[in-house]
Amino acid sequence: MIKIRRLTTGLSTLMLMVLAPITSAEKVTENLEISGFARVIGGYLDHDDRQFEGYTDEISFAEQSLVAVQPTYHFTDKFSITSQVLAHSSGDRDSGVEWLYLSYQPDSAWHFRAGKLRTPFFIYSDSLDVGYTYPWVSAPVQVYNNYLFSTFNGASGSYFYSGSDLALNLEAYYGHFKGDLFLAGTKVDVEAEVDDLAGLVATISHNNLSLRMSYHQGHNDTVIPAVELLKQPLRANGFNESADSLESSGRVYALQASLSYDRVNSFYKAEWVKTVTGYKMAPEVIGFYLLGGYIIDDWTLYGTYSKSAYSDIRPANELPQAPTGNESLDMLSTAYYQVFADTPNGSLESYTLGARWDFRLNMALKAETTLFEESRNASGFFPDSGSGENEDAMLYQIAWEWIF
Amino acid sequence: MKKLLSLFMLTAFVQVMPSYASEGRDRVVVVANTTDAELSLSQDQVRNLFMGASVGRTLHPTVLPPNNRTRSLFNTKVVGMSESRVQSYWAQMKFTGRRASPLQVNSEEEMLRYLTKTPDSVGYLTADTEIPDQLVIIYSTD
Repeated sequence: MIKIRRLTTGLSTLMLMVLAPITSAEKVTENLEISGFARVIGGYLDHDDRQFEGYTDEISFAEQSLVAVQPTYHFTDKFSITSQVLAHSSGDRDSGVEWLYLSYQPDSAWHFRAGKLRTPFFIYSDSLDVGYTYPWVSAPVQVYNNYLFSTFNGASGSYFYSGSDLALNLEAYYGHFKGDLFLAGTKVDVEAEVDDLAGLVATISHNNLSLRMSYHQGHNDTVIPAVELLKQPLRANGFNESADSLESSGRVYALQASLSYDRVNSFYKAEWVKTVTGYKMAPEVIGFYLLGGYIIDDWTLYGTYSKSAYSDIRPANELPQAPTGNESLDMLSTAYYQVFADTPNGSLESYTLGARWDFRLNMALKAETTLFEESRNASGFFPDSGSGENEDAMLYQIAWEWIF
Repeated sequence: MKKLLSLFMLTAFVQVMPSYASEGRDRVVVVANTTDAELSLSQDQVRNLFMGASVGRTLHPTVLPPNNRTRSLFNTKVVGMSESRVQSYWAQMKFTGRRASPLQVNSEEEMLRYLTKTPDSVGYLTADTEIPDQLVIIYSTD
C-alpha cells in the first residue's frame, strides 16, 4: 500500500499551484515577487522489519515531499521583506512559516537580515528543503539529519568580496531557537530551547576551488521531562553523581569544514562536521561525506560515501545494577541505565549512486539508491533496532524537483 | 638538422595556432559601462562578480538567457560550471535569501543596448561584437 494520507495537504496545494500559470518567479507587481519550490519524493526500503528515516518496505511518498511559496516585497532597491511558507508531507515536520525576515543590502558586498532565518550550519543546511540545489534525492543523513534544528530568530550579516586571486565570503549570526529537536533524524519528544546562539561561516575561494569553515555555538536550555522525573529520586536517595550525569543543559558546539571543486563536466565535494556538548548526556558526533559527480549534457551521475560516528557516553558508576533486592531501587536503576542504553553510540556508513536529469530549466528528475550499513550498533538511524546486531538496508528513492 | 628544426617549428606552430586563431565568435569579452577606461579584472573576479560578489566598485552584472550560445561560452570559459550547476547555485542563493540572480536580457542586441545606456552595468558578448566607445572591455577569454 502506498502511504499517501499525509501527502494530501501538500499535494492539494501543489496541484493548485501547477494549475496556476506559474512557470518561473512571478513579479506580481513592480515591488512584489513570488517564487517557490516543490519536491515529490518516493522511497522504498528493502528490509522486512526495519524503518529508516520513515521509509519501510512499503512505497511511500509521504516522508519528504513538500511545497513552499516565497513572497518578497521590495520597499526600495536595498530594503525588502521575505517570507517562506512551507507545507510538508511528513508528520515529523511542522508546516507553516519557515522564514520571515527583513533584508538590507547597502551594496553588493554587505547584506544584513533580521527575523526568522535558517541556520547556516553546513553547506546545504539552509537549503535542505530545496532539493533542486543539490544532486542527491536525500543529502547524506550522517551530516544533514544529525543537526539539531533548521531555523532561528535573530540577525545575520554577511560580506562577499573578490580580489584578483581570492574571494572571501564571511557570514556571522546571533539569535535564539525554540522548537522541535532532532537527533539522528528522529524528532525528540521535547521542545528545545537554545539561547546565545552564534556562528561564523568563512568561505575562501580560488578559481573553482572553495574552502568553507564554520563554527557554531549556543547554550542549550532544553528540559527533558522524563529525565527530570528521574533526577529527583536519584538526588533524594543520594545518587548525586548519577543525577548530574543526566544533565541535559549546557553549551553546544558545531564545527564544519568542506572543500569543493567544480569543473565544467564534473564536481567534487568533501564535508566534515563535528558536534560536541558541554554536558555528559549527549554524545559527540562526527559525520562526513565524499561526493563526486560527472555531467553529460542534462544528466548528472554521482556517487557518495558517507559516515557518522557517535562517541561513547558512560553512566556514572554509582547506582547498583538490578536486581538489588530493593524493588524501588531496582526500578530507579533500570530506568537510569535504560536512558544510556537508548542513547546512540554507534556508527553508520553509506554508499550512494544516483542520477539527476535536468529535463527542464527549473525541473529535475532524480533516482538514487543507497546502501546503509551500521559499522557499530546503534547508529540511532534504525529507531526500531533492538537486537544489538549491526543493521543494514538498501533505500531506493525517486524525486521530482521544481523551482519557480 | 635545419630542415628537421624547421619541420618541428612548423608542427609546433600549427599545434599552437588554433588557440591564437580562435574566431571572435568563440571568444567572450566582458564589457562595462564605466568611467574608468583602465579597468581590468581577473578571470576569478569576473566569475565571482557574476556569482554575486563585490569587486570593490559598483558593477551590476547582466546575463543572457539559458541556452544562449554566448552564455554557454561564458559558463564554460569563465564560470567553469555547467548550466545545470549554475541554475542550482542561483536556486540555493535565492532560497537561502543570500543573493538575487543577475538581471537577464534576451539577446546580444538587447545586452548591447542595455549596457550602453546603463552606467555601472557589466555584461558579456562575443569578441566579434562591435563594442561602442563608451563601453570598456574589462576581460577577454583566449
